[in-house]
Amino acid sequence: MTDLAKKRFAQLGQQLQLDQLTVVRRQAEGWRNGLTGLTGLVGVVFVLKGRESVAGMPAVWRWTTAALLVAAFGLLLIGALGAVRAAHGQLGQRTWLTGDRLFAAVLDEVERTQDALTAARRTSVVGLCAIVAAIGVSWVVPAEESAAGSKEPATAVPHVLVVTVDGPRCGELMAGDTRTLTLKVAGESGESGGRTPAASGWRSIPFDQVRSITPVRGC
Amino acid sequence: MPDHVPTDFREHEPAVPPTDTFAVVRSEDGRWYTVTGPCPTCRATVVFRVAYGVLGPPKRLLRGGRRTPEPLTGSIPVYCQCGYPHAEKPPESPDAGCGAFWEVPVPSPAPGTTT
Ligand SMILES: [Zn+2]
Ligand SMILES: [Zn+2]
Repeated sequence: MTDLAKKRFAQLGQQLQLDQLTVVRRQAEGWRNGLTGLTGLVGVVFVLKGRESVAGMPAVWRWTTAALLVAAFGLLLIGALGAVRAAHGQLGQRTWLTGDRLFAAVLDEVERTQDALTAARRTSVVGLCAIVAAIGVSWVVPAEESAAGSKEPATAVPHVLVVTVDGPRCGELMAGDTRTLTLKVAGESGESGGRTPAASGWRSIPFDQVRSITPVRGC
Repeated sequence: MPDHVPTDFREHEPAVPPTDTFAVVRSEDGRWYTVTGPCPTCRATVVFRVAYGVLGPPKRLLRGGRRTPEPLTGSIPVYCQCGYPHAEKPPESPDAGCGAFWEVPVPSPAPGTTT
């Protein structure tokens, strides 16, 4: 009786003994590429979506977001380096390159590679979770804040009180060049009184009519 | 070195003579076995090494230390790798022996060995 499959599988096993390292390296390369792509994707999402919503947050949440991002950056960096190390580890470092030692070194290297890969996967996943948490915070927290009823959104545009020959005008300073000053005037809500309702909108004031410009917290 | 019998290459499973003894030795770290013994067909001493497959996620609960796989049970299929040229071997065959293969039972681990 001859069971050739038995021999074929024994031969396959012998071949696999030599190929284990190649297999695990290829696997690590795939993971490295995947992790890098995923990290880039989430990072881009955050860069596109995150910044402006962070600006209006209370300090605690801003710090939370920052801490999450720093942690995520560290974790992703460690993960990426781990994946690179898994994909490009060295074989036969600091060992005699005899057949026996190398045989053991290959097994060691395969195990080390897989450990590095596992660690890289875990840190990357935790890092991605931190980024997603940061995005979630940046989405959720300002919504709560504006729902809490603070009338004054924290805009970066300064309000100025401009005294002209016609009287004072208050608004957001939009632009100014050598001839005119452009204000965005909120018509009805103007507290200075006596402003006509039609005054809402953008308003250009020639500089020769301007007597003084004073920065104010609001109009 | 026992005399080598230049048999024709043939992939078959000969009966192992009961007088032949095979040494099945587990490596120190427990990760491979070395089978040494005479080929039943061509009588050359054959060394055959079987390693533990370390691919895949590590099966361990405790961290640290080198993982020692469980000892092998049953038998190890071994094929001849005598290295002598044998006639009638097809050129595409990767074999380095007479083509014979057989099974060597693995002795149950001695009480002293690590598991
Ligand atoms: Zn032979
Ligand atoms: Zn043989």
